[in-house]
Amino acid sequence: MPSDEGVLDRLVDWVHTTDVFKCVASWTLVPYWARRTPVKPLPGGPHPSFQHGDNVQCMMNLIMPLKVKSPIGRAEAALAIAKNKDAIYAGLNNVGTVHFARFVIVGDNICMFSVYDGDFTNYIRDFIATIGEVFNEVVKLVEGGKKVIPCEKNVEAFIQWVHEHDLYQVPDTATDFLRDQEDLKGDRAVSPVDDDLTLLPRKLVLQLRANANISLGSGYRAYPGFSVAQVRKHLKLGW
Amino acid sequence: MINLADLQGNILRGYTKKPHVRYLILEVVDRSAARLWLAASVSGRNGVPQITSGDWGENKPDTCFNIGLTYEGLCALGTPSASLKMFPNEFVEGMTARALKLGDVGASAPEKWPAPFNEPKRIHLIATIYAEKFEQLNEVQKRALPDEKAFRLLGTREGYNFPGDFVHFGYRDNITQPRFEGVHDPERYPDRQPRAPLGTVLLGHPTNLEGLMWRVPHPVALGHNGTFNAFRVLKQHVADFERYLDRAASYLLEHPQGYELLPRGEEEKIGKGPSRRAALREIVAANLCGRWRDGTPLALSADAPDPNVDLTDFDYVGVGDARCPHGAHIRRCNPRGGQIVQRIANNSRRLVRRGVPYGPPYNPDGPLYDPAKPYDGDEPERGLLGNFIGASLGAQFEAMSCDWLNLGLQDPRITGSNDPISGTNDPGTSWFDLPLKSGDTIRLHGLPEFVSTRGGAYTFLPSLKAIEYLGSPM
Amino acid sequence: MVDTSTAKQLVQAIIDNLEQPVPGRRPVHTIGVGVKGEFVASDVACTYCIAEHFNGKPVRVSVRFSNGLGGVNQHDGWSDVRGMATRFHISGERGSDLIATTLGEFFVRNVDDFFEFSKIAKREKYERRPWWRKVWDLLQLKIPPRNPYPDETKNVDEGALRYANRHRFAQLGIFQVGLIGAPESYARASYHAVHTFWVTAPDGVRRPVRFSWQPVAGVRNTDPKAVPRDRYLFDELRDRLQRWPARFMLMMTIGEEGDALDDPTKPWPGTRIRVVMGTLTLLKVSEDQEADGERISFNPNRLAPGIEVSNDPILEARLGAYEVSREMRGGCPFKWR
Repeated sequence: MPSDEGVLDRLVDWVHTTDVFKCVASWTLVPYWARRTPVKPLPGGPHPSFQHGDNVQCMMNLIMPLKVKSPIGRAEAALAIAKNKDAIYAGLNNVGTVHFARFVIVGDNICMFSVYDGDFTNYIRDFIATIGEVFNEVVKLVEGGKKVIPCEKNVEAFIQWVHEHDLYQVPDTATDFLRDQEDLKGDRAVSPVDDDLTLLPRKLVLQLRANANISLGSGYRAYPGFSVAQVRKHLKLGW
Repeated sequence: MINLADLQGNILRGYTKKPHVRYLILEVVDRSAARLWLAASVSGRNGVPQITSGDWGENKPDTCFNIGLTYEGLCALGTPSASLKMFPNEFVEGMTARALKLGDVGASAPEKWPAPFNEPKRIHLIATIYAEKFEQLNEVQKRALPDEKAFRLLGTREGYNFPGDFVHFGYRDNITQPRFEGVHDPERYPDRQPRAPLGTVLLGHPTNLEGLMWRVPHPVALGHNGTFNAFRVLKQHVADFERYLDRAASYLLEHPQGYELLPRGEEEKIGKGPSRRAALREIVAANLCGRWRDGTPLALSADAPDPNVDLTDFDYVGVGDARCPHGAHIRRCNPRGGQIVQRIANNSRRLVRRGVPYGPPYNPDGPLYDPAKPYDGDEPERGLLGNFIGASLGAQFEAMSCDWLNLGLQDPRITGSNDPISGTNDPGTSWFDLPLKSGDTIRLHGLPEFVSTRGGAYTFLPSLKAIEYLGSPM
Repeated sequence: MVDTSTAKQLVQAIIDNLEQPVPGRRPVHTIGVGVKGEFVASDVACTYCIAEHFNGKPVRVSVRFSNGLGGVNQHDGWSDVRGMATRFHISGERGSDLIATTLGEFFVRNVDDFFEFSKIAKREKYERRPWWRKVWDLLQLKIPPRNPYPDETKNVDEGALRYANRHRFAQLGIFQVGLIGAPESYARASYHAVHTFWVTAPDGVRRPVRFSWQPVAGVRNTDPKAVPRDRYLFDELRDRLQRWPARFMLMMTIGEEGDALDDPTKPWPGTRIRVVMGTLTLLKVSEDQEADGERISFNPNRLAPGIEVSNDPILEARLGAYEVSREMRGGCPFKWR
C-alpha cells in the first residue's frame, strides 16, 4: 500500500477538483449513472405534515418559463404584474395568510416566491377567487399555461399546474433527502438495511438532474411558528 | 329549480324518521354483474333495493337506500379512463393518502384502522340502508346482496340515532345544515347564514367562491349533480371526555378567576343542581363545543343553557363573537360570518353533515365509568358514523380539517391549537381558552384526543342518471 | 436510579476503543480547557422556565471546551466533534449543567444501539486510498475519502460508515461527523445539547425543548485543505478573551406534538418556535486548569428545578456513565441538585 504520496496520487486528488473533470463527468458519467440508476423527479412544495410549525410560513417557489423568450416577453410579464398592484394588495389582505410574495424575472422565467400559512391548495384556491384575473394574465404568458386558464373555470387543473411548477424543497437535513427518494420508490425498509452512504453525492447529482431547479431547504426563519395574523395581532396592526 | 328526482336522497334529506342505519362496505366481484345491479337499483328491478332519490312524491319510502363509489370502485366498474382522469386528486388518492391533512395520525393513522378499512383499495362501494325498524336493515341487506355474484361484503358498520338527536358526548347534534338556493326546505330552522349556492353540494352549479366552478367529470350524465362524501368512522372516548371535564372543573374551582366564569350562587342556573363542580363541568363542556349539551349556542346564551333561544339563528359578531370561544368546535367547523383570517373563505367551506352514533350509549352513573378509577381501556367501542358531503372534498372537507380544525389558522388567538373535541390533541401540548366576560381568558391544558378515526373512505355520490350510466352495458 | 453495571459497561466500551487508556483523565473529550464566564437570561426566559438561572440575574458560569477525540494526543486541527459543557452556578452552591457538542444529532437511539455501534465502529487502520481506487470512486460519482492527517494511522470512520449503512437513524449523525471540520476558535462554533428537556413555566405549563449555543462571533471553520495544526485552540481562546469577552446566545427550540422527544438521532425542523433564553459572556480562561478543566465534572442530568429530563434513553444512560467515569478519574464530586 502506498505510504508516500506519488505523482498519480497528487494527480487524482487534484483532477477531480478541476472544472474540466466536472465538465467531462457531466457529459459522460452523469448520463451513464442516470441510465443505470434512474431517479424520478421529487414533487414540489413543502413536505406534508400535520404539525403546526410546519404549516405556517410555508414556502412557494414557482419558476415559470415564459413563452416569448426575449426582452419583449419579459416586459410583458413585468407589465402584467405592474398593472395589477391594487389587485395583488387586495388579494393579500383578503386571503390573509401571505407573509411575503415576490415576483422575479430570472432568465426567461417569471418566478413567484411567497411565504404563506396553511394548506397549499387552500392558499391557491383562495387567491384564484380573489385575483384569478391576475393569475390568468401572467399564466397566459407562460409555456403550457393556456390549458389551465381561465383558472376560475379550471380550479383543480390550475392548482395542479402550479404545484407542478413549485420547486422541490430539499430537506434541511442532508440525509433526509435520501428518505424522500426512498418514499417515492415506496422503500420503507427499517433497520437493518443495506445502504451505501457514500453514494449520497451521486444521488444528489442525479436528483438535480431530475429536478434541475430546487429550493435548498424550506427556508431559514427568524421567528418560526407564527402565522401572518399572529404577527399582525401581536404588533397591534389588526388582522 | 333543481330536479330532486335526479339526486340521491341522502344529500339533501336527513332521513330523520329512520333512526337505524347500516353501511355495507362492498367490493366489486364481477364487473358486468355489478353494472347490472346498478342498473336495477335505479328503478328497484329484480329485487335490488331502489336508490332513494331526493323526490319522494306522494309516498314516503319505508326504507332508504343510497350508494357511494370510491375511485377504485369507479375503476372496477370499468369507467372510461378519460372520465376517471377528471375526478379531483383527493378523491383519486383516497382518504388514507390524505391522512396528514385530516389529522389521521397516531392512534387515528390509517395503518391502525381495523378491517375492512385496513385494505382501502378493496373498498369499492359503500351502500347505506336507513330504516325505521331494525329488522328492515336485514331485509334490505338480503335484497341488496342475495349472493356474491356482483359484490362481496367486506364489512358493515351500524348506527342508531338516539332519541332527541343526542350523540355520545351528550350533546344534541344534527342542528345546523346549509340551506340551498333553489331548494325548498321547510324542515329547517331559521338561520342567519346566507343560503348556500347549489354548487356547495352538487357538481355543475355555481359555488360559494364567486366565479369558481369545480370540474365536472365527463360525460355530463356521470358528473352532473353528483357530489362527494367523506365517510368517517369516528371513535369517541367518552370516559376520557367526562374525566377531562372533572379535571377541568377541579382546576377551575381553584382558579382565581373561576368566579368570573361562574359567579357564586349561580350554580343552579346551569341545570345540574347546586354543585359548583357539576356546573363547572357543564360550562367546560359547553365551551369546548360552542353549544350547551342541549344545543343552546353560546353565541346567544353564554351564561346558561336556555331552551327559549334559537338553535341556529346566530352569528359570531358582537356578543356572539365575545362569548363563544374562538376555538369552540362548532365555530372552528363553521365560523359563519364571524371575523376570520381568510376573509374570502367565510361560508365557502360548508358541508352537509349526516351522522349517526354507533355503539352503546354511555351512562356516567353505570358501572362503565367511575371517576375515582382511571380509565382501564374497557370502554366499549362507540362513536359516530359521519358523512361530510360537499361538491369539493379539497375545498370544503379537507380545507376545514387541515387549516381550521387542526391548525386554527382562521384566528390568531387559536393558531397553534387543535379542535378541542375532534382535533388530534396531545395532552402534553394541547390548550384551549375559555373566554371571560372581562375579555380575559382562562387557558385549559392537557386535552387528550377525544375522537380517533377508525376508518373511512372518500366516495362519489352519483346522481340517478349517473347510476344509470354506470349501470349501462359496456 | 443509576444502573451502575450498564454505566460501567458503557464507559468500558469507550475505553476499549481507545488507542491507549488515559488513567485519571476523561476517556473521551480528554483534551479540554476550563473557562469562566457569566450568563444573563433574556427578558422572556423567565416566562418559559422557572429555573433560577433564567430569572434574569447574572449567574456565574464554568465552561469546559473540549476536543471529542479520546486520548492525550492533541489534534486541534483534525475534523472532530467539539464539546461545550456549561455549569450555571446557582444559589446554595448548586449547579445546573448543559452539555452540548458541535454535532446536531446523536448517532444512536439507546444503550443497545451504542453497544452495537461500539462493536462495529472499532478503530481500524486508516491509510490514504490508492489513486486507482480513487479513480474508481470518481467513476462512480463518489467523493473519495479524505487523506489521513499526518500521524493519523487509525480511526473509526470505516466502522461508523458500516454502522450507518445498516441503520438509517444513524445516518444523519454520522454524515454530519464526516463534514464537521475544525473550528477556528472554540468561540466560533455552534453547540447543541441534542437531548430533549422539559421546562416548566411560572404558570405550570411544561414544554419539551432543545437547547443550542450560538456564537455571537459567528461560526467559522479552518480551511480543510490546509495542513492541520495540532495546537492552537487553547492559545486562541486565551488571546481572544484577553482582548474582548466572547459571547454565545442560548437558543431554546420548543417541540411540538409529533416531534421526537426521546430520540436524539432525530432533528427537530427549523419551523419550531425558537426563543432567545439569554447570553453567555466568557471572561477568561481559568488559571487553575486542574480544577476547572480536569477535576470539574458535568452531568447532563444535573438540572436546576424547573428543568427536567425527557425519557431519552441516551440522556438517562449518561446519568450513570458520567458518574462512573468521574469516579474512575477522581473527578470532583458535586452536590447533586
